[in-house]
Amino acid sequence: MVMTEPASRKASKPPDEPADAPSEATAPVEEMDLVRRARKGDLTAYDELVRRYQERIYATVYHMTANHEDANDLAQEAFIKAFQALKSFKGGSSFYTWVYRIAVNKTINFLKQRRNKGQMSLDDLDFNAEHDPDLVALISDKTPRREVGLAELQEKLNAAMQKLSEPHRLAVTLHDVQGLSHEEIAKIMDCNVGTVRSRLFYARQQLQAYLSDYLK
Amino acid sequence: MSMSEDTENFEQLRRLLALKRHEQPPPGYFNNFSRQVILRIRAGEKGEDAAIFGRISWEAPWLQRIWAALETKPILAGAFGVALCSLFIAGVVFSDKGDVASGALAPSMDTASMPIGQVSLAAADHPFLAKPVVLQSSSTSPIDTAKIDESLLGALGKLRAEPGSLSFPGAN
Repeated sequence: MVMTEPASRKASKPPDEPADAPSEATAPVEEMDLVRRARKGDLTAYDELVRRYQERIYATVYHMTANHEDANDLAQEAFIKAFQALKSFKGGSSFYTWVYRIAVNKTINFLKQRRNKGQMSLDDLDFNAEHDPDLVALISDKTPRREVGLAELQEKLNAAMQKLSEPHRLAVTLHDVQGLSHEEIAKIMDCNVGTVRSRLFYARQQLQAYLSDYLK
Repeated sequence: MSMSEDTENFEQLRRLLALKRHEQPPPGYFNNFSRQVILRIRAGEKGEDAAIFGRISWEAPWLQRIWAALETKPILAGAFGVALCSLFIAGVVFSDKGDVASGALAPSMDTASMPIGQVSLAAADHPFLAKPVVLQSSSTSPIDTAKIDESLLGALGKLRAEPGSLSFPGAN
């Protein structure tokens, strides 16, 4: 199982046309019912909500921190904080967006405190990575400078990501890795779509410069 | 660098970024994730209760000492229990009597008819007061008599307030 993306959003879907994530309009009625029950203290209902979004929340935090242990703590704390603050959730946005925002704010605060002290503790690549045609093309197209394995590529990529500022890293993570739309990212980051596009462009430029040896 | 080159390079970059989708936590990690969250929420709720008790104990250490003494000495705990029960029973008994007394006392009060300066305790029907007593507080009139009915039973027949006065021999 690929942990970062739901099955429908894996490589088959281009990052510019992502978003099968629930939005306010598409959020199922059942979810609102779960939220209502959880608000009354029903932990079974909240458990169901956690299960729905745990992978995406964890993945976002993980790609931001490049550290499994930190991601584990922060993702759990985000869900705990969301439960405690559930009474203040008015339903103006979807529960999904709301939890995302909590997790992102928590992660950014954590990164500000941790700045320059963090060590990477990367998750392993799954078996499918070796068969991903894009990645196979990248590592098989060898040049004297670019004779690397997947593990090394993973490390270089994460190191480059960590050089970005938090807002730029978040924009790349949510769009290019997780496949969220610009509109969804704007809601999560509490900014307008233009800012998201701008951050995304700048972040890609930066990454391109850092990873020039590994790109054609 | 032209726009098309940019787009092409970004395409390469996005393919590279796709590698991150293959990074995954240890197998079975998400099987326990929600359970851990729920456990931490429950632990937090219990922790809050414990924190409240701890704060009370911290703010009132004497309460903690009493509690510790009761825990370690069963005789003391038993005596404390007996004392509490006795207090409760006494409270019930006296509150019943108090209700009867106050019900009977209210209509017998006739302070309006008394002269200013006199305070009457009309409680002839009260079991603990044998005789109505009137205190004359005027400084000009000497307190000359104190009529006290010797008999408790005699007081039962008197349901009406009577004027009276207290006097101390030699006070004049």
